Amino acid sequence: MATKIKAGESYGFFTDTSVCIGCKACEVACKEWNELQGNNATFLADSFDNTGALDAQNWRHVKFVEHVPDKPATEGNGFAWLMMSDVCKHCKQASCMEVCPTNAIIRTEFDTVFIQQDVCNGCRNCVAACPYGVIGMNSQTGTAHKCTLCYDRLQGGLEPACAKACPTQSIQFGPLAELQQAADVRLAALHSQGQTQAQLYGRDDKVYGGLNAFFLLMDKPETYGLPNADNAKLPSRNNVGGYVGAAITAVLAVVAGLVAFRRRGEAA
Amino acid sequence: MVSLAATFGRGAMTNHWRDIKNADLILINGANPAEAHPVGFQWFMRAKLDRGAKIIHADPRFTRTSAVADMYLRIRTGSDVAYFGGLINYVLQNNLFHDAYVRNYTNASFIVKDGYSFKDGLFSGYDASKRTYNIATWSYETDSATGFAMRDLTLQHPRSVFQLMKQHYSRYTPEMVSSITGIPVADFKKVAELVGQMGKPDKVMTIVYAVGLTHHTTGGQLIRSGAALQLLLGNMGRPGGGMNAERGHANIQGNTDHAISWEILPGYLRIPAPGQKTIAEYVAASAPKKSDKNSWNFFGTNYSKFMVSTLKAWFGDAAKKDNEFAFDFIPKPASNASWMTIYDQALKGKMEGLILSGMTAASIGPDSNQVRDALGKLKWLVVMDALPTTSSEFWHAPGVDAASVKTEVFMVPTTHWIEKDGSFVNSGRWSQWKDQVLPPEGQARHDHWILADVFQRVKKLYQSQGGKFPDPVMALTFNYKDATKPELDEIAKEINGKDLTTGKQLASFALLKDDGTTTTGDWIYTGSYTEAGNLMKRRQGVQDPKANDPTGMGFFANWAWSWPLNRRVMYNRASADLDGKPWDATRPGITWDGSKWVGDVPDYPPTMDPHDPASWLPFIMNGEGVGRLFSNSMIDGPFPEHYEPVESPVANPLHPANSASPVAFLYDQAAGRPNRFGDAKEFPYIATSYRLTEHEHYVTQHVPHLVQLQPKAFVEIPYELANEKGIKNGEQVRVSSKRGKLEVAALVTKRLGALTVAGQKVYQIGIPIHWGYVGLSADSDPGKGRYWLANALTPFVGDANARTPEFKAFLVNVEKL
Amino acid sequence: MIYLEAEHFVRAPEWTWYILFYFFFAGLAGGAYVLGSLLRLSGDARDEPAARVAFLVSLPATLICPILLTADLNASWMRFWHMMVNTTPGDAGLNFKYWSPMSVGVWGLLLFGFFVGISALDAWLRNRGSFGLLPMAVNRVFNVLGSLVGIFIASYTGVLISVSNQPVWSDTWALGGLFLASGLSGAAALLALLIRNRPEASFSLGRLHQADGYFSALELALIVVFFITVGAAGSLSREVPWLPLWALAVVGVAASLVEARGHMRMRPSGSGTVAGIRLDTVVVSLLALIGVLALRAAVIFSAQ
Ligand SMILES: Nc1nc2c(c(=O)[nH]1)N[C@H]1C(S)=C(S)[C@@H](COP(=O)(O)OP(=O)(O)OC[C@H]3O[C@@H](n4cnc5c(=O)[nH]c(N)nc54)[C@H](O)[C@@H]3O)O[C@H]1N2
Ligand SMILES: Nc1nc2c(c(=O)[nH]1)N[C@H]1C(S)=C(S)[C@@H](COP(=O)(O)OP(=O)(O)OC[C@H]3O[C@@H](n4cnc5c(=O)[nH]c(N)nc54)[C@H](O)[C@@H]3O)O[C@H]1N2
Ligand code: SF4
Ligand code: SF4
Ligand code: SF4
Ligand code: SF4
Ligand code: SF4
Ligand SMILES: [Mo]
Repeated sequence: MATKIKAGESYGFFTDTSVCIGCKACEVACKEWNELQGNNATFLADSFDNTGALDAQNWRHVKFVEHVPDKPATEGNGFAWLMMSDVCKHCKQASCMEVCPTNAIIRTEFDTVFIQQDVCNGCRNCVAACPYGVIGMNSQTGTAHKCTLCYDRLQGGLEPACAKACPTQSIQFGPLAELQQAADVRLAALHSQGQTQAQLYGRDDKVYGGLNAFFLLMDKPETYGLPNADNAKLPSRNNVGGYVGAAITAVLAVVAGLVAFRRRGEAA
Repeated sequence: MVSLAATFGRGAMTNHWRDIKNADLILINGANPAEAHPVGFQWFMRAKLDRGAKIIHADPRFTRTSAVADMYLRIRTGSDVAYFGGLINYVLQNNLFHDAYVRNYTNASFIVKDGYSFKDGLFSGYDASKRTYNIATWSYETDSATGFAMRDLTLQHPRSVFQLMKQHYSRYTPEMVSSITGIPVADFKKVAELVGQMGKPDKVMTIVYAVGLTHHTTGGQLIRSGAALQLLLGNMGRPGGGMNAERGHANIQGNTDHAISWEILPGYLRIPAPGQKTIAEYVAASAPKKSDKNSWNFFGTNYSKFMVSTLKAWFGDAAKKDNEFAFDFIPKPASNASWMTIYDQALKGKMEGLILSGMTAASIGPDSNQVRDALGKLKWLVVMDALPTTSSEFWHAPGVDAASVKTEVFMVPTTHWIEKDGSFVNSGRWSQWKDQVLPPEGQARHDHWILADVFQRVKKLYQSQGGKFPDPVMALTFNYKDATKPELDEIAKEINGKDLTTGKQLASFALLKDDGTTTTGDWIYTGSYTEAGNLMKRRQGVQDPKANDPTGMGFFANWAWSWPLNRRVMYNRASADLDGKPWDATRPGITWDGSKWVGDVPDYPPTMDPHDPASWLPFIMNGEGVGRLFSNSMIDGPFPEHYEPVESPVANPLHPANSASPVAFLYDQAAGRPNRFGDAKEFPYIATSYRLTEHEHYVTQHVPHLVQLQPKAFVEIPYELANEKGIKNGEQVRVSSKRGKLEVAALVTKRLGALTVAGQKVYQIGIPIHWGYVGLSADSDPGKGRYWLANALTPFVGDANARTPEFKAFLVNVEKL
Repeated sequence: MIYLEAEHFVRAPEWTWYILFYFFFAGLAGGAYVLGSLLRLSGDARDEPAARVAFLVSLPATLICPILLTADLNASWMRFWHMMVNTTPGDAGLNFKYWSPMSVGVWGLLLFGFFVGISALDAWLRNRGSFGLLPMAVNRVFNVLGSLVGIFIASYTGVLISVSNQPVWSDTWALGGLFLASGLSGAAALLALLIRNRPEASFSLGRLHQADGYFSALELALIVVFFITVGAAGSLSREVPWLPLWALAVVGVAASLVEARGHMRMRPSGSGTVAGIRLDTVVVSLLALIGVLALRAAVIFSAQ
């Protein structure tokens, strides 16, 4: 990777699922660099996935979705057996950051979303908020964990461990604008090859104002467990409704209470 | 490897990993590079993404490679000769071969002796009682005056290789291909059309394979069928082309180069045979013979130089002209000593002890229950390994009564390769020096230190006690700073060899002599460690692609060092036409600039003018000087022919009477034990065994992060079959063959499915190899992984040439537990 | 009928027992304070003893809350502190995010603690002698302000879980109101339970049951709204396993309604008391309180 990493620029990932080979090198590289132990080994009988989900011990997770037709000859091209290396999206409008009461979640000088371990108090509000199920609680520290976008490596001028390990450049790291350009080119190429179902997810601002870690998908976002643009909403959307509902209830309740207690001079 | 040498002259991946990016079409057969070579696979993706190359993957299973391939073909295991044969037929019938290439660079024009025949699945010269061929019936007709082979450059002679080939493959119609492989006719035709384009000079295709072709009793022929197709299309020697064997372990290529196989000495010199007394006799029996006036026959011509220099390196002053350079110090095995033979001998009680180093016999060989019995018949077993293995623990494996095992087992802790420096030679023949990453753990010692120490002690015993024939031991060169702790750098330097007169390191094997004045530990590595130092340490790579790879073809000449002579694409003379111009100017290998060859390191004399009528032919290692469509170096047939695996649910549609290979080696039968093969009535399903990305054979069973990724033994069962049998995803099943059983979880998937073969519906099931009774997964299993060894199922049979076991095709039954 | 399939791919925050009881006590504390204020504001001196019980009871209910929260944060007070003060190095300051109910809630709890503390002390003093901490007129204003905070405390927990991306929780706007209504109902039941044997306060018993009835009616309406909104979002199936808890909640509501009817009078003059069943206060109140807990449990658990 030739880019020099500078504070003040926006960095992110372009993950091109059409070239992912599900090798899980990203998963392991992340664990090695970040000294994550991983969870107890369990066989999930879910295609080749035995990790299950992103959590405190898995900051990268390769999803497998089998849509392979039962035919003696078929096309592969990234859409018959879907593989996607999932990670924190480093949302421009980050739900986790929005709700965090301690301000433990910050945007770094690289425009990434980072949880400060010494500030987090373990309230799990971010867990409830992240629409991608990214954040997990570490039972030992009692704090929230997720991909740091290798904050420590970026500060040292190194690209993230997962991107470095990815053999097919399914995970590309770099300045956001460059990645977006690369993604547009790749999408156009796929469309010209007749792969019209290919789409970019999080490249524009339709989901959470844009994702710093955005994806090229070979099927609908829902298929990969990603909310589509209609469903991608910030938690704060419910503030007004919730409080107004409560206020109306309060008014009615106070009136009711006054009615109940109003009558004077009566026997019990 | 045998089959590549028999076709092109050298047994190795012809091109290299990075070169795959230069291809227009990539056929992957019998390999799953996305899972077994994920890092190398980046070049497949680059070809696809950067130049729009198409990838066609034929595999019994839809794998992670198929997932990104343009076309996946569900092929029946063991049937790729039919696939390639069908493509050969299509190319020949439609005149789509590369005409000039085929005429001039292959043996298509050579005339085969009268008497050669092929009938009913048998080539001429078959001896049914010995199950062997007399391959003399497969020779060329020679000119009595010159002794050279007769040629007909019009390719019209009825006994020309070209015409014989055309006739041989005319039986491989699309319908026949479909009936053998299970690939629907229409899909096969689609592939044939794409492949047919690749005979044009400006197009190039690569074929990539690995042990999905090797692990068959027909392995040699499977590979040769692809190689022959590549010669017809003129894709050999060219960037983006080749017949590319993806090797296994990080250094398996280095292993082979340095003679890990019993039948060779370092540098692919043949092991001497009993009765050979002189170097001349040895060379006469081993070296290729020049069979065309324009053939350089480089290997044959220099064979004695390589051999003498090797003997000189090994025995120093004791190797003198008047004792044939100590030729009699070299053992001359009277019989086969390949992997299976060793355990066959042990089973027969003919072996006293065994040293296993970096390999676990109890897991990796076919019929592992029988192999375990064999280990139990030894007096002693030494396991040199960094970790416990199924071999070091075989005597107390689950279900084994430890008291009944009499074998004394010694565990000798070694360092793991990550704990030492040294070189790794990758599939592309690049020898890359690595550093020690971790310090040795505990009392572990380097393998070469252990061996050196053992050697010194044996030598001392000879000195003090005498013994039979001490000479080879006493004379062996051992010039290291510390005779019990040689350094790998010292050994690398020794392997390169030197000029004994000047004391200088040699720069090329062309300088080797047979007068005793030069040494080499392995002639193909001469040039790797010169006076300029250890060239394998060079690291001029992608930091500056313009400077380090000026042609853009990915040669990176100053990155590490590749044999032979740092050449990146072998046989590269064939990348240029008769005038020395590249077939495709955008993808030059080497080019004649009027006075010399430029580009890659030429596989050819660097200043030989192509217009000189005496100039050499391109395949300098072959006696013919050309690539062999027809080869009498294979002992199971000069043209690849489809034979069924030894266990198959159908009779060979081409010749049912001779269904399986007539020369495959049946160990049990040969040893007087009953053959233990199953039939389709009892064992109706075809099984194949393979790797998963997440594990490296058996050793990663000790690595928690990888065990988490694939924590438990399982088999892959086709969805339709599972439905028939009421097996649900994740349930336990029993898979059994005539030889043993597995009890593991079922992963039910549509990535495997039914095929129609010879008019019959057959199912294939998939068996990953990575589990056994040692490691983290087994520790957490109540049964301790007792029925987890994939090789409990596989048959004890071998390919006729290499004696490679048939790991990839056997019959099983599946039951729900 | 599903109008819009809300897709959720979130992970559960695993808010379980501590949070459930926090929500429960916050509802009771807020509800009790509001009831105390209403009783006092209604102007009948005979309601004053019950009002004082309400203020007194809201104190322990409030004090339990930070204990439960701290327990949930691995029992570390420092961690509670992080909610209020930004501990990011070089970034000192208070944490206040009006758009994050959890952040607002912490301050709300602190503020409420202040109101509850004063009002409880005042009630305690008045119960012992004749002087309160504040003159009654000031007290009234103070109670009104405290009630506003109390309403917030009883309801914001519902808003808090709504302000997430969890299924169920984020699919409805009814939770704030629902928790408030149920908190008030629970507080009324709790007060009824506490004053039933205090002759000086028993005047308020019937009124409390009656108020409980209104709150329960409100709660019932909101449960309906809740089911409609959650159903519209397509998350209704998640409620199925928790129907027994919902049944418990409805039993609590029903008990309150039945009892309230028993205490209902036609006219302020008191001429015509509606003939209704009067159940035992202990039974009704316990049922109502169990209902309050069950409702929160059903809501909290069904999302995760
Ligand atoms: N992750 C990982 N990588 C490895 C290794 C490992 O253990 N783990 N081992 C290394 C070693 S030592 C080796 S030798 C290489 C082997 O590399 P590969 O040969 O690529 O590995 P396999 O998985 O054994 O087999 C490849 C494929 O061949 C298919 N196959 C089986 N029979 C046939 C057939 O008759 N025709 C065709 N067309 N396909 C067939 C199988 O379904 C399988 O998908 O991998 C190396 N790389
Ligand atoms: N059914 C079936 N069977 C197969 C295959 C198949 O596809 N199907 N594939 C076959 C093939 S291609 C292969 S290569 C074999 C693989 O079989 P093995 O080579 O036996 O498998 P590994 O687990 O790689 O074993 C290597 C051992 O070397 C040790 N080791 C590592 N470094 C060092 C070192 O520096 N020194 C020493 N002394 N030891 C070291 C490791 O700890 C490990 O125990 O399996 C074969 N068996
Ligand atoms: S994906 Fe989740 S954790 Fe990551 S920034 Fe967005 S909301 Fe936060
Ligand atoms: S768990 Fe930590 S990071 Fe998440 S919201 Fe709470 S304080 Fe913020
Ligand atoms: S960026 Fe770093 S922390 Fe994030 S997934 Fe990649 S390796 Fe893990
Ligand atoms: S490393 Fe790259 S190719 Fe491998 S699973 Fe991760 S994203 Fe996919
Ligand atoms: S394990 Fe090593 S040798 Fe094998 S693919 Fe990965 S990097 Fe290459
Ligand atoms: Mo291998």
